[in-house]
Amino acid sequence: MDKNFQKEEFTEVIKFTPPLYKQRYQFVKDLVEKYKPKKVADLGCADCRLLWMLKFCRCIEVLAGLDTCASVMKEKMHMLSPLPIDYLQPSERSLTVTLHQGSVAHKDPCMLGFDLVTCIELIEHLEESELKKFPEVVFGFMAPSMVVISTPNSEFNPLLPGVTLHRHPDHKFEWTQAQFQSWALETAKCYDYSVEFTGVGHPPTGMENVGFCTQIGVFFRKYPQTGESVQSEKPTEAVYKTVFKAVYPSLKDEKFLQNAVVNEVIFVAQNIKHHLMSKHEEYDDDPERESRFQPSVDYFSDYLRKLVVDQTMEPFVKGNEVYIPLVTIFSFPKVNRLCGTFEKLCKLIAGKVTLSSDGSAVVFNTEYE
Amino acid sequence: MTGRARARARGRPPRQVAAVAPVGAAPGRPSQLPDPWQPQQQPVPPTPSEEPGRCGQPRAFESAVQQRRPEGLRVSLGLQELSLGERGGRRRDCHDLGVNTRQAMVHVQESKTGLSGHVIKLTTNHFRLASRPQWALFQYHVDYSPEMESRRVRSALLFQHEEHIGKTHAFDGSILFLPKKLENKITELVSRTRNGDDVKITVTLTNELPPTSPTCLQFYNIIFRRLLKMLNLQQIGRNYYNPCDPVSIPNHRLMVWPGFTSSILQYEESIMLCADVSHKVLRGETVLDFMHSLYSQVGEERFRDTCAKELIGLIVLTRYNNRTYRIDDINWDNNPMGTFRKSDGSEISFLEYYRKQYGIDIADPKQPVLISQTKRNRRNMEGSVVLIPELCSLTGLTDKMRTDFNMMKDLAIHTRLAPEQRQREIGRLLNYIQKDDNVQKELGNWGLSFDYKSVAFTGRVVQREKIFQSGNMFDYHPQFADWTKETRGVPLIHAMPMDNWLLIYTRRNYDVANTLLQSLFKVTPSMGIKMNKPNMIEVDDRTEAYLKVLQQRVTPDTNIVFCVLSSSRKDKYGAIKKYLCTHCPIPSQCVLARTLSKPQTIMTVATKIALQMNCKMGGELWSVEIPLKQVMIVGIDCYHDTVSGKQSVAGFVSSLNQTMTRWFSRCVVQSRGQELVDGIKACLQNALRTWLKWNRSMPSRIFVYRDGVGDGQLNTLVNYEVPQFLDCLKSIGTDYSPRLTVIVVKKRVGARLFAETGGGLKNPPPGTVVDTVVTRPEWYDFFIVSHTVKNGCVTPTHYNVIYDTSQLKPDHLQRLTYKLCHMYYNWSGVIRVPAPCQYAHKLAFLVGQSIHKEPNAMLSDRLYYL
Repeated sequence: MDKNFQKEEFTEVIKFTPPLYKQRYQFVKDLVEKYKPKKVADLGCADCRLLWMLKFCRCIEVLAGLDTCASVMKEKMHMLSPLPIDYLQPSERSLTVTLHQGSVAHKDPCMLGFDLVTCIELIEHLEESELKKFPEVVFGFMAPSMVVISTPNSEFNPLLPGVTLHRHPDHKFEWTQAQFQSWALETAKCYDYSVEFTGVGHPPTGMENVGFCTQIGVFFRKYPQTGESVQSEKPTEAVYKTVFKAVYPSLKDEKFLQNAVVNEVIFVAQNIKHHLMSKHEEYDDDPERESRFQPSVDYFSDYLRKLVVDQTMEPFVKGNEVYIPLVTIFSFPKVNRLCGTFEKLCKLIAGKVTLSSDGSAVVFNTEYE
Repeated sequence: MTGRARARARGRPPRQVAAVAPVGAAPGRPSQLPDPWQPQQQPVPPTPSEEPGRCGQPRAFESAVQQRRPEGLRVSLGLQELSLGERGGRRRDCHDLGVNTRQAMVHVQESKTGLSGHVIKLTTNHFRLASRPQWALFQYHVDYSPEMESRRVRSALLFQHEEHIGKTHAFDGSILFLPKKLENKITELVSRTRNGDDVKITVTLTNELPPTSPTCLQFYNIIFRRLLKMLNLQQIGRNYYNPCDPVSIPNHRLMVWPGFTSSILQYEESIMLCADVSHKVLRGETVLDFMHSLYSQVGEERFRDTCAKELIGLIVLTRYNNRTYRIDDINWDNNPMGTFRKSDGSEISFLEYYRKQYGIDIADPKQPVLISQTKRNRRNMEGSVVLIPELCSLTGLTDKMRTDFNMMKDLAIHTRLAPEQRQREIGRLLNYIQKDDNVQKELGNWGLSFDYKSVAFTGRVVQREKIFQSGNMFDYHPQFADWTKETRGVPLIHAMPMDNWLLIYTRRNYDVANTLLQSLFKVTPSMGIKMNKPNMIEVDDRTEAYLKVLQQRVTPDTNIVFCVLSSSRKDKYGAIKKYLCTHCPIPSQCVLARTLSKPQTIMTVATKIALQMNCKMGGELWSVEIPLKQVMIVGIDCYHDTVSGKQSVAGFVSSLNQTMTRWFSRCVVQSRGQELVDGIKACLQNALRTWLKWNRSMPSRIFVYRDGVGDGQLNTLVNYEVPQFLDCLKSIGTDYSPRLTVIVVKKRVGARLFAETGGGLKNPPPGTVVDTVVTRPEWYDFFIVSHTVKNGCVTPTHYNVIYDTSQLKPDHLQRLTYKLCHMYYNWSGVIRVPAPCQYAHKLAFLVGQSIHKEPNAMLSDRLYYL
């Protein structure tokens, strides 16, 4: 009775900006930024939009999606593929994205070992039997450090125009705040998790007791996993079907690292050679170079000038060959960062770059200039 | 251009850069695939929900565009397409489907094939597409009641009925293609939306398409792209590339990805897939990196200018989505701290946007921003997108890189594949397709399959031409298609004396100037060129100094001006050319000092320069036998200025005499949006008048070789340009009705020809003509391989005769075309296109790059633009 009254009074149509689904995803993204999980799984990932947003989070190394419907995942799954630029400039972190077809009512070992499992607007789509198995699969079996579960708050429904029973015809139920919280608390208690409640989609002023439009429970596992012992008892038979898998190029992969290092070494060496060889008359006609655009642009020659104070590091010309000591190249920040140690540098470029007979310098021929 | 002679001294064919086409082919065309089934379809990679920066500053541009082309002035879509500078971007139909020009030409109705020459066994890169007998594609129209807006919702609702429709389908939101026929002509379905509303869907059969219908062809292409995506190839621009096996060239910070271009079309006898190897050159540096290194090279003063020159027109990849953009402008007044309005109306800075949306931190908040115009956005309007240099990676090559001999050499190792290699690489793609289960399943579901062996057929090698020079006749070696050696030391047909000429140099280049002079004195007598000592003038190495000397010393009696330049800076070259082509019409020759500095090549260089100067002054070098009388040949090509934008130039060249040794030239300079047609009409009138003066009669046949026609512009050419030519001829007089032939010349084609020789594949020899199998049934077209290449594969040139009242047999037209490929005086060998096209190209290039306005008409009967 009270609610009906409120609805009539409330004439303005509620519209969330940004749209509610975006707010939910942003909520997850913020959570990821805060807790920096390395392995994240999204259950009920649908068109993979959340996964796509998460792939830009630099802490994540493993992303997995699970959905019962393969075709909905396939529609946009190419968004999760590496971009050309990922190959051009491989990132420091490694990233693997996998999509599985399967149900949250079944256990599959591929879902083990995750730091964060998200179930955004998932549980209300589950049949009663599935919902019953859900806590055991997610909290008992997968047992990640964190779980995020969001679901509609039915108390908010009267404020939404056109919503009669459920917000979506496929929803099997929609819970009030109390219903959700009691389910969540019980689940948490059963599997040794703590839970915090929050939500997105603020109610209009004056109606705060209605609660958020989407209610969210964030679960934290109370005790760190004891490790192997727990997992060994678990069934290891795979029941999910892998729909998609993308391994991003990464500098952790020796092949890409070597490529990047060789590229950078040759580039730096070429630059040094240019500075050494060419006094291009045609470009030397402006003595005063004041820059508004970028004061650090000529860092290269400055840097080189500073470096060559040390005699052993000075590049030199002998006959028609230029020698650029590896030590000099190694002292360039980017090369240094890529390799870490001088030994690593030597190992990576071995056989890929022409070196002097003692292996201490890169050699270039000066012809063709 | 300067530096050319040097390249030539090394024996590099003149159009070698263009021969790398696959490398640079993609840039300039960021377009997506032709959109056969209309509006919203976006067969392109993922897009973020919104494009950053589609507002604020860009809006000013939008309105500018609209101002420039107000509604009332929209002559017609066709005309607009014809205007220059409108290349690239989204194409409706890039294969010119449905332009049937052959039907109007009675004499080639039966057969368009020639007969002469000896037969040669060829294979190509075409593969037959087979479909089941009785195969048809079923086209349905899908209606929603109530009307649904979003394409996603529409598809989702429709595919709730997959059990009805089947798993194999292609749907763009309103048109549905199925490989099978539904039970009823009209199928009514009911789906439920998320809100629980019922939506009635009506699926109506609208068409039953035979395999050869144009719609079907476009459909094949779409399906084929799907397959490539299934093979995990990365789409960049229009083509697909394999990122897993890149070739890196660290010396130049380049990376080359192997990939494929593909198109499926109806050819002479069957529908075929034309697949070719394509290479994408990617660069390991961002636009910001590039700007930095440019800055350290050129300094503050010329930085912005150089930046614009180097960057505008390049294609960039962004680091956050799988899109390519063409850089159209650089906005120096904006930076990543600037803001834009998001689609929800809130204002956000670029810095903030990229951090929030993609977790990317922009390191340099003071960098300028790049502007990319988009042809269409969701609201079907032109707009522009702001890009951050730091987040954009460069692709393709800049002009400067193209002139870097070493770089091109390093690249060529990887990109220029010999015929055998090329065919093997293409075979690899077919192999992928054949081996991949998913791909085979998809093909099977549609009832399609490929012939995995390329098409084999025969071509003809026409008779070699003889070169005539002052009563001497020469054969040239067919393998090289070059007669430099044969004609050395033979007098020219018509040698112009150099009685009065200027040699201008800087102090530093005094020695090279002298060496050159000595060499010229050695080589010119045998050519029959009478040469006096020049006026030797020393200048300071400043543009103004050069100009001052020219103003003071050039007289109307000056034969030619020779400048030795110390650097390849374009401004100096441009200033000299501009002055001597417009204010003071005297032929000029500019040469880089570096070109002359090598003692071992100086004689070769001097010979080439002497020949070139002779042409520029109106001399004639050699000729081939042209049996037709009273013929005027016209060549047209276009130059599009990508830098300062806006300006485009059409070069127009026409023959003046029977032997085709003298050429008249005009050009049309126009700003963007203007029509080319009127200008060309005036050129033709002018050309006819001059022809009359030279020959005391009017030509009875006119052949127009039209180059510079983009994909999809054929229709416009047929419907607007040809009628203008006819109009022009009509306006000459009622009793004058010459025979007209218009031939569209295309150098960038996907077709490759390989000669089968004893088990191996080789490039077909020059003179190879193909007018069957890989030509199109609706056209009167043929391919000629006229030139040779040292490395890699030759690209045949495609000739499409779109209008012909000459009554000439195909054989004769092919021969005439091939003969004309021998007549380019800047290269003593056969070239890829008929000489008038290459002359027109040179003219348009010179005017577009350096002069920017119409050259003085006094020069119009000489090859001053060589």
